[in-house]
Amino acid sequence: MPEYKGMVQPVRATPDEMRKIFAEPVPDEQKPEKAIEYLDEIRKKFRSFVVAMESCVKCGQCAENCHTYLGTRDPNNIPANRAELIRKIYRRYFTLEGRWFGKLVGAEDISLDVIEQWYSYFYQCSQCRRCAHVCPFGIDTCEVTFIGRQLLHWLGITPKLHAAVGGAMEKVGNHTGLPKPGIVDTLEFMSEEIMDEFGVEVEFPVDKPDSDIIYIPSSADFLLNPYTLMGAGMFFTYIGANWCIPSNVTEAGNFGLLFDQYYTQRGNVNRLLNAAHELNVKKIVWGECGHGWRAAKMYVPSLADRPVRWPLTHVHDEAAELIRRGELKLNPENNPEPVTLHDPCNYVRACGLNDNMRTIMNAVTVDFREMNPHGVDNFCCGGGSGILFDDPEMYQRRIQLSQKKADQVRATGVGKDGNGILCAPCSICKAQLYPMVEEHELGVHVHGLIDLLAKALVWK
Amino acid sequence: MPCLTVNGVDIELDEDGFMIDPDLWNEDVARAFADSEGISELNEDHWKVINYLRDYFKQYHIAPMVRKLCQETSCSLKYIYDLFPSGPAKGACKLAGLPKPTGCV
Repeated sequence: MPEYKGMVQPVRATPDEMRKIFAEPVPDEQKPEKAIEYLDEIRKKFRSFVVAMESCVKCGQCAENCHTYLGTRDPNNIPANRAELIRKIYRRYFTLEGRWFGKLVGAEDISLDVIEQWYSYFYQCSQCRRCAHVCPFGIDTCEVTFIGRQLLHWLGITPKLHAAVGGAMEKVGNHTGLPKPGIVDTLEFMSEEIMDEFGVEVEFPVDKPDSDIIYIPSSADFLLNPYTLMGAGMFFTYIGANWCIPSNVTEAGNFGLLFDQYYTQRGNVNRLLNAAHELNVKKIVWGECGHGWRAAKMYVPSLADRPVRWPLTHVHDEAAELIRRGELKLNPENNPEPVTLHDPCNYVRACGLNDNMRTIMNAVTVDFREMNPHGVDNFCCGGGSGILFDDPEMYQRRIQLSQKKADQVRATGVGKDGNGILCAPCSICKAQLYPMVEEHELGVHVHGLIDLLAKALVWK
Repeated sequence: MPCLTVNGVDIELDEDGFMIDPDLWNEDVARAFADSEGISELNEDHWKVINYLRDYFKQYHIAPMVRKLCQETSCSLKYIYDLFPSGPAKGACKLAGLPKPTGCV
């Protein structure tokens, strides 16, 4: 029952699990001192962090714009207050007024209690950046959460889920622990399913040298999202691409972005570039994963240990471009159900995929209803940054964190007759929404966007 | 570390109650898990799913795609939830002695 003095916390990784991802846990008595040491290093390096620490005027604009606060009504989940959990320490040790006046200016001494508080609250923030979107000072509380989680990781405190994912990535190059034989078997199954359902012959080449394109699917597609995997195969076959899936990096995600941007995130980047190099490809196309696309598009050039000579695009970018050029023959009547689109946070607020998703959506459906708000202003599904814990306490939290999303979906009316589609083109969103649409009784099925595109393809 | 004792053998479990060592599995272990999962009795269909999962895992070291599981056992997803209230991943895989699935699942 992971709780610390009344605060819910995710189950934490064991020291062995931490060592697998190159983190050496710090003993409890040294944690406070080390925390200050690491915080000092961070503040000297990241201006975005110092802006967050020093510029907040507590205007409160972020409060009602954060799905976490709206769902839990816990004051520490207001972004400004979440940042305050570190700010009060920052103020104490790194500002004159904090050193001199302590509690009078809201500065606090570091302690294990504070560190445990960080662990509770930085894993209730989904790094969705909606707060950054509305902050008049441009403070990005997601940066504060990144740093909070990084500090905790260096101290040896990371959720079991995240550490296990990091460990799986180290071992087989994907988050779910899929080994190559399992990948090949699942892809063969996908070919059979496509033939059964669509009457089309689609092959999924694996590790094919001299491919033009490598496609990086989310590994969750191999377990839970068959239509997304089938859809990608159908799309590439339709356009006659010379493509393949690399078996040692079948992972569009990069959990390193979420909690350890030093080793875990970098390790994944190098793995990807090695695969692209070995297979001698010309382009890397990304699958449906929100945080993974941000980690790829925005971080690969700077985290890479070599020049990156391959363009990185998203499968939605590719599809939207072909639709605009009229090169895809589509029949939107193949998707007759009412559909609404959940905008994955990282797609719209970090990677500019807003318009491309809608180009595809409008071309492949007949009853597309935008939720409110939508696009860049859309709310997080509640599961962002890997908040997919399923121990009873955190699972209840997830239901609260997805409350705002549930209200939005209900308001569109797509689920009224029980046959609605909630399009959520990101694996974490899918993993969150599959159970949450049942918990909130929304009358919808969750699908990716490539799923809908594939259904609408008209084959000769 | 939580533990389950079956026929005098101590079986180590992780925090979510999944077996740490899949090789220690036997049918009595599945029956012991069934109790804690609220399943009163394991019928033919339960065993069909459990055995399919074990065979697939032995061969591929990973759980099968849920869709494939449903097809190969001729059980709809809804029926699998009826058989195993916690679902294919957290229910059936647990009873079959597979490790807990990780990642965005």
